Amino acid sequence: MFKTKKHLVVTTMLALVLPVLSACGGNTTSTPSSGGNSDSSQATTTAGTGSSSTGNTQPTGATGTTGSSGSAGGEKVTLTFWNGFTGPDRPAVEDLVKKFNDSHPNIQVNMDIQPWDSLMQKLLSTMSTGQGPDITGIHFQYLPQYAKSGYVMDMTSSFKGGTNLDPANFPPALNDLLRVDGKYYAAPMNFATLLLYYNKDLFKAAGLDPEKPPATWDEWKTDLKKLTKPDQGQYGIAIGEHETIPNWPIFLWGNGGDVIKNGKPDLTDPKTIEALKMWSAMVTNDKISPTGLSGAEADKLFQSQKAAMEVSGPWLTNGFTEAKLNFSVAPVPVGPAGPVTLADSVVMMVNKSSKNTDAAMQFVDYWNSKESQLYFSTQTGFPSARLDLANSPDLAKNQWSPKFAAVAPNSRFYLAGLEKFTQIDADVFTPMIQQITLGKKSVEDAAKEADQKINDLLK
Amino acid sequence: MSGAEWWQKALGTWCLVCDALKQKGVRLLAKATVARAGASPRPQSRLRLMWREMNTRQARAGYFFILPSLVILGVFVFWPIVQSIILSLQHWRFGSSVQSWAGLDNYTRMLHDDRVWSAFRNTLYFTAVTVPLGLLISLGLALALNEKLPARPFLRAIFFLPVIASFAIIAIVWSFMLDPDIGLLTYWSKQLHLPTGSWLRDPQWAMPAVIIVSIWKTIGFNMVIFLAGLQGISETYYEAAKMDGASSWQRFWNVTLPLLRPTGLFVLVVSVIGAFQVFDQVYVMTPGGGPLFSTETVVTYIYHQGIQLSDISYAASIGVVLFAIVFVLTLIQMRILRYREVD
Repeated sequence: MFKTKKHLVVTTMLALVLPVLSACGGNTTSTPSSGGNSDSSQATTTAGTGSSSTGNTQPTGATGTTGSSGSAGGEKVTLTFWNGFTGPDRPAVEDLVKKFNDSHPNIQVNMDIQPWDSLMQKLLSTMSTGQGPDITGIHFQYLPQYAKSGYVMDMTSSFKGGTNLDPANFPPALNDLLRVDGKYYAAPMNFATLLLYYNKDLFKAAGLDPEKPPATWDEWKTDLKKLTKPDQGQYGIAIGEHETIPNWPIFLWGNGGDVIKNGKPDLTDPKTIEALKMWSAMVTNDKISPTGLSGAEADKLFQSQKAAMEVSGPWLTNGFTEAKLNFSVAPVPVGPAGPVTLADSVVMMVNKSSKNTDAAMQFVDYWNSKESQLYFSTQTGFPSARLDLANSPDLAKNQWSPKFAAVAPNSRFYLAGLEKFTQIDADVFTPMIQQITLGKKSVEDAAKEADQKINDLLK
Repeated sequence: MSGAEWWQKALGTWCLVCDALKQKGVRLLAKATVARAGASPRPQSRLRLMWREMNTRQARAGYFFILPSLVILGVFVFWPIVQSIILSLQHWRFGSSVQSWAGLDNYTRMLHDDRVWSAFRNTLYFTAVTVPLGLLISLGLALALNEKLPARPFLRAIFFLPVIASFAIIAIVWSFMLDPDIGLLTYWSKQLHLPTGSWLRDPQWAMPAVIIVSIWKTIGFNMVIFLAGLQGISETYYEAAKMDGASSWQRFWNVTLPLLRPTGLFVLVVSVIGAFQVFDQVYVMTPGGGPLFSTETVVTYIYHQGIQLSDISYAASIGVVLFAIVFVLTLIQMRILRYREVD
């Protein structure tokens, strides 16, 4: 009996220490590979895996675009490259790496694609011990934190005229995103804008013209009400609230409000309050969308034809096409403050302790070459970060890319350049929206409280 | 990565060796204990008694044999605990080069953090419902499936099945079933004209939904433990009780229940610890803490602070508090149920 007791004590001790262990990091036992992702990044959406068969362009003469293929006669250099492109765009990423390896005999890029949240769990701890991948793709929101930690290489010298990383190649907002304290710490890996997805069949059924999606907020409101049919369990739109590509900031911007304006919280701005009131009333009173949706749930609702519209990015086109949905995309309807939509980007950074930073920069440069960008866009439906491709006829080989590219001039990044992005979004802004849509607090009270919290975080 | 593989193999071999040695060591220690129990010791201080017990030749050999296992426990269990406690007394963000002493700053910060309080409240709520309910249901099932029912093995397998599946997968499946718009349960409820709920999107119902799934998933395991306990009770007790004219209720109350106490204690202790550490199902079913953080538990909050916000020292301090609470609770449970004096 004594023995059994000891046994029990040991078992108990073991079970007791588990929470402490998990606090030490690296606990990946329960990471879902899809959906419910905390970083709201595009590669994690659950819209199935695309075959990306549309417009398969092979860039010609990939060699030579970077000017050199590694130091001639040198030993073969191996680079590690981490990113989280587990979604439908994975094949395009793999293709580009293969093309680079084939055209650069002295450099071998070994890529490790893993779900974003397990990547983020490992990245900081490996980089802070002087290890970690040479090149990493991360969501732009993490860049300020990483750049300030001192583990990321300053690549300002590579952003010069005449190269693929010429700052003039990218929109100003994206340039701002890549810089921390005036220095470039990353290059674009992809660039996305949001459009209004709408279901043509549901438009027809509601007596609306499927070729004439709403263009202004007034038209949008009318259409949303017509498309909301509670008796059939149908919603006008699926608005993702948490674990999603942000939707609500677009509503605030469309009315001239914002979450943070000129470095100060802007939630108590009358324009912000007005937008919050209008849209939350549409949700709670007119039931145009369920409340509390995650991004993945919103996608499912649109895909199962229970929601007629959704505001989202190019990563959904492949999945919806495969699901044989009769859908199209249009610019987000224009609000009182003019046309605006959300932009998003995954950026590439180079490890400061990498032994092969030159080779790594060759890869980063290659990735942003015209040929590579065109290939990626036509394969995935993403617009390109490069301005000189926006109107390229080649882009039209994918029917979606030009549409997403067209709204780029009106697109804005959400909470760009803020070290406390995650706190502001997940701990303040999202709960504020939930309090409002669940009717727990009035718009004014919730906004005032959130404004104060953001103010504290920005100090 | 041949380096990693080498380490993996080395560690594997080390564990095998440890295990073999440990068995020998435990046998020796048991013998030493028996030997000591045989001798009648003069009244002595407790400490001296313990020392004498530890210092016999057999016991020394025993400790020597379990030493390798202790090293493993030390490196992977006790050392991290010590590190967590040290970390909780510092200011350190993951990746930051600044690591300074904070004294009790992290602990006082917890006192003013609403999310910590709500996480502890939610965890308590979860534990207070899942543990007793889960215990009762699994005991009931074990009693029922200990009877000679038709298709008994089949039924046992059915109830055990959810235990085998990964919690993450079960959580995904249940999230789909509970979806208020396109979920299976919603569809069935509508067909039967029953009211439907928003479940995981409703701050009031999100936690009950998680609780139901958790109970459903864990009762199978507890049931099997109870079954093993039931089958360890000798038939002769029941025969004797029957001869004395005990009713079936009396037999249950006076024979089954007391003899099941060790099993019950084991299940209780493990369930309480498991409930306090609830993570997987909550994290998957209600990512981001659920509607208005209504399902945010202590461990998901530790994850949020430590991994998502990189505030590893603050996360460690919450972990230490959780450790202390569970430790004390376990001691209390063992004291109340007086494990030692059973049978």
